[in-house]
Amino acid sequence: MSDNNKREVNRIKELESINLSREEIRDFVIETKKEVEKDNDLLAKQLNDELKKRGIRSIDIVGAIGAGKTALLEKIAERLSKKYRILVICGDITTRVDADRIEKHDVKTIQINTGRECALNAYHIYQVLKNQDLDNYDLIFIENVGNLICPSDFKLGTDMRMTVVSITEGEWVVEKHPMLFKMSDVAVINKIDLLERLGTNIDKMENDAKNFNPHIKVIKTSAKTNENVDLLIKTLEL
Amino acid sequence: MKKDLEEIQKIIGKLELNSKTQIKDLLNYFLQTHLNRNKVDNFIGDYPTFIEPVHLEDNVRIGDDVLLGPNVYIGKDSEIKDYVEISNSIIFDNVFIGKNNKLGNCIIGKNTSLVCENINVNNCVIVGNIKSKEDLYKIIYKFE
Repeated sequence: MSDNNKREVNRIKELESINLSREEIRDFVIETKKEVEKDNDLLAKQLNDELKKRGIRSIDIVGAIGAGKTALLEKIAERLSKKYRILVICGDITTRVDADRIEKHDVKTIQINTGRECALNAYHIYQVLKNQDLDNYDLIFIENVGNLICPSDFKLGTDMRMTVVSITEGEWVVEKHPMLFKMSDVAVINKIDLLERLGTNIDKMENDAKNFNPHIKVIKTSAKTNENVDLLIKTLEL
Repeated sequence: MKKDLEEIQKIIGKLELNSKTQIKDLLNYFLQTHLNRNKVDNFIGDYPTFIEPVHLEDNVRIGDDVLLGPNVYIGKDSEIKDYVEISNSIIFDNVFIGKNNKLGNCIIGKNTSLVCENINVNNCVIVGNIKSKEDLYKIIYKFE
């Protein structure tokens, strides 16, 4: 491939849009994108097989910035750190703020700073896990980069995916992100302590999630007041 | 940290056939002992991906789409070009790593210049000025 074509492919890869590719390299770009997705899924499957073989439960948590992923994880860690040996992998563009918060609850944390990437992928998780002694853990949480769009492209090899939204994001937040709810097992609607003040139509949020995915379990929580945190833990079968 | 780096530097300066176990143990010891959290607040460049722990000394230049970690130490004044991936490795001071190279469990000696691109090496020591894959295979010291 010529240097010009290589540059074009790299540019398109960064923009993540096949529509922008020139006609003569369109097929190549489509094939490359398919291969990358296939490789990610394959690696995710291998990771899940390995974790299952060792009896390690794994859950990944997705949600927008400020939805309450870290706050819920803190509450979960607080309740479960004596029952399970927990590893939390935290994804963020930059900083170690979330990992530092969670680490206070006696769990091991590892931070991944993705820089420009908007989601974790299976290779990030593979790199972390292959450098850990997995005999030291019974339960792994992966907190994805705060984002409701990109994480739906990448499976991470966990048993279960939990998506967290909050009522402060408005009642359309679920309806606008179908892919994520289709591939989630549990949907958490957080910050219900603010419901009276905000008047968000929480029933619509729940119905939208169930319309996209009839198998999804919807839990309404407040990480701030602890409402339904125990129910969430039960729903996660922990 | 400095003392252990000096010891590794000394040993890779006069490698012998029977240094393999010693090198491997020193690398593992260094990575497990001296790296814990990220220290990445001082690099020059855009937004690489860091998997904790990564330790960067001053004036490290990093290109686009670079993945560093876990367990990576990079010495001062080094330059890492685009699409490079490094894990479980020590890169000493003033090293140049060319585009799209992938290094795992490696020690790259002081002032080494890895100008060649698209190489994928593991479990080795590299010291010198490497302009081509042929150069690399002449000087690479595999310890596993």
